[in-house]
Amino acid sequence: MRSVLTTTFAALIVGVGSLASAGDIPSHPSELSFDELVFTPPLASEFRHELSSGVPVFMASSDEFPLVTITLSFKGGEYMEPEGKAGLAAMTGAMIRTGGSATMSPSDLDEEFDFMAANVSVSVGDRTASASINALTSNLDDAFGLFMDMVRNPRFDSERLEVLRGQQLEAIKTRDDDGLGIAIREMGFLMWGEDFFEARQPTKASLEGITVEDMKALHARIFNPSNLMVSVTGDFEESEMLAFLEDAFDDWTPGEASPDVPVPTHTFEPGVYYYEKDQPQTQVLIGHRSFERDDPNAIAIMVMNDILGGSGFTSRITNSVRTREGLAYTAGSVMRPRVEYPGVFMAYFFTKVPTTALATRLVFDEFKTIETELATPDEVETIANNIIETFPRRFESKAAMMGLFISDERTGRAPDYWQTYRDRVRSVTPEDVQRVAKAYLHPDEAVILVVGPWEQVKKGNAESEADASRVATMDEFFGGKATEIPQRDPETLEPKSED
Amino acid sequence: MRVLRTAAISAAAIMMIPASTAIAQNVQPIEYTLDNGMKFLLMPRDEQPNIITAGWIAPVGSVNERPGITGVSHLLEHLLFKGTDLIGTSDPELDEQYREQLTEVREKMRAYTLDVQYKRMYAGEIENPWDPANDTDELRALRAQMTELQELQSKITIKNEFDSIYTGNGGSGMNAGTSNDFTVFYINVPSNKLELWAWMESDRLMDPSMRELDAERFVVIEERRQRLEATATGKLDEQFDSMFWVASPYNWPVIGWMSDLMAYTEDEIFEYFETYYQPANLVGVIVGDFEVEEAKQLVDSYFGRLENKRPKADPVVTYAVPLLGEVRFSGECDCQDQVEVRYRSVPYGHPDEAVFDVMADLLNGRTGRLYKSLVEEQGIAASASASHRSQHYAGSFSFNARPKGNVDLATLEEAWYVELDRLKTEPVSDRELQKVKNGQAADTFRGLMDNSSLFFQLAITEGYGGYEYLNEHPKRIAAVTAEDIMRVANEYLRADARAVASYTRKGGTEEVMLTLDDVRASLPEEMVEMVIPGMESGLIEIAATTDVASLQKQIEDMEAQKDMVPPQFQTAMKFMKQQIERRIAELESEADGSTQEGGAQ
Repeated sequence: MRSVLTTTFAALIVGVGSLASAGDIPSHPSELSFDELVFTPPLASEFRHELSSGVPVFMASSDEFPLVTITLSFKGGEYMEPEGKAGLAAMTGAMIRTGGSATMSPSDLDEEFDFMAANVSVSVGDRTASASINALTSNLDDAFGLFMDMVRNPRFDSERLEVLRGQQLEAIKTRDDDGLGIAIREMGFLMWGEDFFEARQPTKASLEGITVEDMKALHARIFNPSNLMVSVTGDFEESEMLAFLEDAFDDWTPGEASPDVPVPTHTFEPGVYYYEKDQPQTQVLIGHRSFERDDPNAIAIMVMNDILGGSGFTSRITNSVRTREGLAYTAGSVMRPRVEYPGVFMAYFFTKVPTTALATRLVFDEFKTIETELATPDEVETIANNIIETFPRRFESKAAMMGLFISDERTGRAPDYWQTYRDRVRSVTPEDVQRVAKAYLHPDEAVILVVGPWEQVKKGNAESEADASRVATMDEFFGGKATEIPQRDPETLEPKSED
Repeated sequence: MRVLRTAAISAAAIMMIPASTAIAQNVQPIEYTLDNGMKFLLMPRDEQPNIITAGWIAPVGSVNERPGITGVSHLLEHLLFKGTDLIGTSDPELDEQYREQLTEVREKMRAYTLDVQYKRMYAGEIENPWDPANDTDELRALRAQMTELQELQSKITIKNEFDSIYTGNGGSGMNAGTSNDFTVFYINVPSNKLELWAWMESDRLMDPSMRELDAERFVVIEERRQRLEATATGKLDEQFDSMFWVASPYNWPVIGWMSDLMAYTEDEIFEYFETYYQPANLVGVIVGDFEVEEAKQLVDSYFGRLENKRPKADPVVTYAVPLLGEVRFSGECDCQDQVEVRYRSVPYGHPDEAVFDVMADLLNGRTGRLYKSLVEEQGIAASASASHRSQHYAGSFSFNARPKGNVDLATLEEAWYVELDRLKTEPVSDRELQKVKNGQAADTFRGLMDNSSLFFQLAITEGYGGYEYLNEHPKRIAAVTAEDIMRVANEYLRADARAVASYTRKGGTEEVMLTLDDVRASLPEEMVEMVIPGMESGLIEIAATTDVASLQKQIEDMEAQKDMVPPQFQTAMKFMKQQIERRIAELESEADGSTQEGGAQ
């Protein structure tokens, strides 16, 4: 298995003959020449094994350090939370980890893990859940035994539950302290609706209503072999590891597989929205729903977004808002497709209150430019080169590589996806970039969400800006109409009543 | 199901873990020093094929600054991404002319601002002397000149060329960081692009342009807003740091004071650069999939071009004076209530550093003392932790906690002093100490497992004086004894040399009305049934009382007993006090003949 990687490595020994000496250093790096980097992406099938029960196991060993990581990955997550139980998934994950096991109290179990220096984590995310252990090879056997007892028979200790619940209840009180947190939450509500799992937030009532029975039910649905794939990396011998896992999972009975992710039905009204907050800097998100991961244009869209705002300093929004105008430290855009339904596109920046409108205008100018003008071949080439040249990094760490294979198998990605990936990136043209910008960017149907002191945001920079062409107010977007999002009580997320 | 062997983990594990780490923790990079004094650490490693993490560190940070130029280390870090004489412009000659003219205008604006505008500020006429809104006619004219020059220059500027060259060649994760003590630059490049890295980095060290200085100033100001001013506790933390460090140059923020950010001149920046970024002061680090001989040739050719132009910089002169009493700082913010108790510890590499590290670990984590005591047993904290940080010239040790429910900060502070007393008076058990050492030993491996964390460990330790620390520190941790911990706690963590910060939520003085459920949640489980029925009948009595004086007497009694009530009953007492106060208000308003709705506003 490892031979694939070592052969690739052997093939790229660089010729020493081409080296510069002090006299012939070129005056620009474009004059440097480099040997070709040969990299063949490894195939998932080379790392994939199956237990007799059918559970897939992805393994890659390395003896550099005396540590082993075993990760159990399960299908299932927040989308399975019953109505009114927002926060259940995360709390269940935390309680499996901290609530003890059938044979050990929470504090004894923590004590053993800590004493053995085993790092153990459990989490239930939006679509998948995972339980992971990183332990010294020398005591893997003992540590993994405790770990499996915890994963299969969590105790959900009631004292630990109340501690956790107390922490969560404290944490939600601070939800409106951080402007960016508010912006992300409200954007989620606008894009997906408050009740859809992508955006749903725990409240005081939902946290208080979560019971041990709720957690046991969710645990049983998710943490069973029907949903399971395993990844193992670190210092071990493969056949021994397979036998070890076979033995450990031997009497673990499969349950019902988790259902598929539901599809959102919410629609939103484009326009300017604001959430009042007294702060010196505003957070601005400009977004709309986007595309599905397996869209035939997905790669061209990714290149387009990298040119627009997705690749740091090399992208246009960063260049304009940050480098040229000095209006923000953080500015850019992201495309987040989903496997099951269209995801979200978002441009973002944080700027001082009076320049909010000016920075928004600059971002809209960039939307317009990328839709109406061809990108230069250089821009497209720089982005394509970057994606192609950084491609090996996806396979750099063995743990990340196994994680990628598991996610690909779970989401039904074509087995040759990575083999042909670089050719598809290379084939994107400036015309493709413009075509997908027109088809997939919809600034007129976007939401502009501003968190900040609205009266000052609205009137813009007229008082501090001498250059009339740079004076901007929020009136120039969506005909000057803006919708106030009512202040929410951080604990209930209900609009605060006017006093 | 599989039989669990929990009982078997014991002595064997204790013996085993330290033994196995003693062999493995031995990081040996190849050292290579150029004729100009620039040192390189080369660490070939094929675990991550095709990738190299490369960078360099300058042991310079805010600690080397002075009032008037605070934050210049950080701004300089930003400016080193703005290109060189060759990179970032289509016309190097014309660009140089513009830069010279811009410098001239900038100097005039600065001189004028420091004179006229500062005087207007001190006279109370304007608030911010640097704000364009307060410009006089003279300044407005100068600013217009500057804008005109900037626009001309921008026509020949190739924006972010430095970044896009790397990006187009597969560079990723390019960044830099500035701390109080050092500045570090790094990037991941494909294995065949090491020469590109050498070209780019030696070029920016040789001829940086500091182009777009004025726009970048504003980027940093936005960064300051984002990190400090728009965060819940940022501005308060900055002032608390300032109070804590007294004379030491750690007393100003890495990002700099706002006044200074507006004021740097190009000369100041270049002088700083030439002093601290000369080759004899720098260390390059290359980790990953590369050939050592090739790398040596490359760094010779490229970094060998750099010259030492100025005398070696003086080390930092001003050292920390001890705290001579207790410093207290309280502030309000849009934040959860929180308390910090902070002490001076020891500089990096001091023999007691490892003792502080072990002590912090004893207190931290789910099996640590603070969680067990403050979060679980007493139920007074939502979170509690300790931290230790040894910096180049001084260190600090902190306790931090956030209350659970309505517990007040003084209660948390007291609970810390009780824990601290235990550290001072009771030797820690062998098992507890061994647990911390096992965790530290395993974590040293974990910190070496990928190229970039290995890069940072080598760069930072070398920047502080020598990578050998990576191999020495684990031995020092292994040697810490229970007596060391008691000695260090007594010597450094003293009541007469500490700083305490208490932050409360803005507007939090409006009292939240507690409910019986709050009381129930605040009590240890076994106490609930004992306490709640008594309180319920107490409530009935209060409701039946019409005698304001007797109610007031009860409140006075409660105030008098306040300090004797154990922490877990504080919420219960506060609840009763609120109920009595509400009853008094009711009775008084009835006496006024008006009616009033109860409840918090």
